[in-house]
Amino acid sequence: MEKMLEVKNLSTVFNTDNGTVQAVRDVSFDVGKGEILGIVGESGSGKSQTMFSCMGLLAGNGRVANGEILLDGKNISPLAFNTSKDYEDTMSDIRGNDMAMIFQDPMTFLNPVLTIESQLTEPILNHNDISKKEAHDRAIELMKKVGIPSPESRIKQYPFQFSGGMRQRIIIAIALACNPKLIIADEPTTALDVTIQAQVLELIQKLRDDLGSSVIMITHDLGVVASMCDRIAIMYGGKIVEIGTADEIFYNPKHPYTKGLLSCIANPEDKEKKQLNPIPGSPPDLLNIGNWCPFVDRCDKAMKICKMKMPSQEDYSDTHHASCWLSHPLAKEGEGE
Amino acid sequence: MAEQPILELKDLKVYFKMNNGFLQSKDIVKAVDGISLKIYPGETFGLVGESGCGKSTTGRAIVKINTPTEGQIFVNGEDITKIKGAELKQFKQDVQMIFQDPYASLNPRMTVGEIIREPMDIHNIYDTKEEREERVRELLELVGLKPDHIRRYPHEFSGGQRQRIGIARTLALNPKFIVCDEPISALDVSIQAQVINLLEKIQKEMGISYLFIAHDLSMVKHISDRIGVMYLGNLVEVGDSDSVYTDPLHPYTRALLSAVPIPDPETARSRQRVILQGELPSPINPPSGCVFRTRCPKATERCAKEKPELKQVKDRLVACFLYEDNKE
Repeated sequence: MEKMLEVKNLSTVFNTDNGTVQAVRDVSFDVGKGEILGIVGESGSGKSQTMFSCMGLLAGNGRVANGEILLDGKNISPLAFNTSKDYEDTMSDIRGNDMAMIFQDPMTFLNPVLTIESQLTEPILNHNDISKKEAHDRAIELMKKVGIPSPESRIKQYPFQFSGGMRQRIIIAIALACNPKLIIADEPTTALDVTIQAQVLELIQKLRDDLGSSVIMITHDLGVVASMCDRIAIMYGGKIVEIGTADEIFYNPKHPYTKGLLSCIANPEDKEKKQLNPIPGSPPDLLNIGNWCPFVDRCDKAMKICKMKMPSQEDYSDTHHASCWLSHPLAKEGEGE
Repeated sequence: MAEQPILELKDLKVYFKMNNGFLQSKDIVKAVDGISLKIYPGETFGLVGESGCGKSTTGRAIVKINTPTEGQIFVNGEDITKIKGAELKQFKQDVQMIFQDPYASLNPRMTVGEIIREPMDIHNIYDTKEEREERVRELLELVGLKPDHIRRYPHEFSGGQRQRIGIARTLALNPKFIVCDEPISALDVSIQAQVINLLEKIQKEMGISYLFIAHDLSMVKHISDRIGVMYLGNLVEVGDSDSVYTDPLHPYTRALLSAVPIPDPETARSRQRVILQGELPSPINPPSGCVFRTRCPKATERCAKEKPELKQVKDRLVACFLYEDNKE
């Protein structure tokens, strides 16, 4: 499959008063054209910061320290540019045009004092050389596409006149305004109810089928990725610990963290009540984190080597990779202390 | 079941007045519009529904945070809607609540020890402070924290640990009934299971009944014996949790369950989804007749005129006209 986005050895750091936070640590992955990739992780696992690094939307104290970000073959990592002005100019051409982001919270993303029309036509007018009238028609068309009833009258309204699900649709419409090649959805349904969530997920899937865009879906909900994604990456402590197709991750997980995650969620389809097996402890602090396996303190199979060296990536198939010392030929099950 | 229910709601209604400003009509939000249910000792009753359906208001009415507009609440057979003074104090020992947000429900200026001891101080449970401190240590251990955490402040703990502190405070008075209002929705996935297991362990050891309010249907099914499904202030289906999940009867329950994301790629690909059109109507002017009829794929003319009552269908209660004719 042709690659839409390829991230190689990306590291992102934040300078804080307490020291350097290594939010993203040596992360590599790619997304094919027309593919939906899910990135799953707990809060603080670096899943959102990875995508913010790609979009050039890092907070002021954050910076990309290392790595390449190739969008359709072109390196858009800030390190590939000579000046920050060059970078910003390139990114403002790309953002909203080639790649667009759907944000988590529909309440804070929309400007409350601007009409839906001005927010929806802004990216269209910025990236295309067309008249306001044409942009207006295009905006109406987008609202129809995302399923907002009577768009002709609602386009004049303000965000507060829309419900949460409708606002999320508007955000999706804004993201789609310029037919982006890559859509990044950061927890697009977390703020929504389940029946509305189902509507929005179906919409994203349909748009992928119609437009052939690639989608990166950031979420903590394994249920959402199971039904939506072609491939899934599991992030923990700023690293991708396992990546594979949905079937490989759900039916043949290799990393203890992935296994732990799967055994601590309830599946309503289960006939018998199963005991939940929570992962003990809590996620690591990314401030001054050591260069060894981030999961070591919560892993029931941890060995001495786990706290000394970072495990290298092991390939289980063309698509399935995991980083764990247990797969090392010298490791025997149960050798842990 | 001939047993006396620990909690019984009879036609509970909670309305809120909305003030639309000077000289304007006052709208009434019908948050809970006449629900009746019974919860038995040692049982976990799950209450599910979308935001705005009135599930939290129901829970808050039970612990007397919200005042019911109409209807009665019985705890152990006694009507608690109008009690005052000493009776009220006794009631508050028996019925406790775990809140959704572990960051907002703990006072940041009190130590963990003070937070957990406060209910015992108010209710004069033990004679001396030492005995109370001893009990606090016991409780901390019970919820999986260390006894020497007693002098720390809430900000030193993670979300899951804070929720444990909240649970310890709830248990301080040995309650018989706990309302859990979305106790896990603010926590990470790997931490949610820890808290669920803790709640189950406490129930097993102390025989407490729970009203478990949540929108995460997978977890509700896991923890509950029986489930009530709410829509716009009304209960639409009540029954055994397994049978409601395997064979939902009310059209809303069907749609709600088919919308739950299933963490299994194969089932997710193969299953049929009922995707509801539209959104929840406003509880200020709920639809006439059956409240669900505006989104129901099977609505008839009758649904607009009459309001269906909860009636026995098979092994459970359903409020829908679809099941009236073919009574067994």
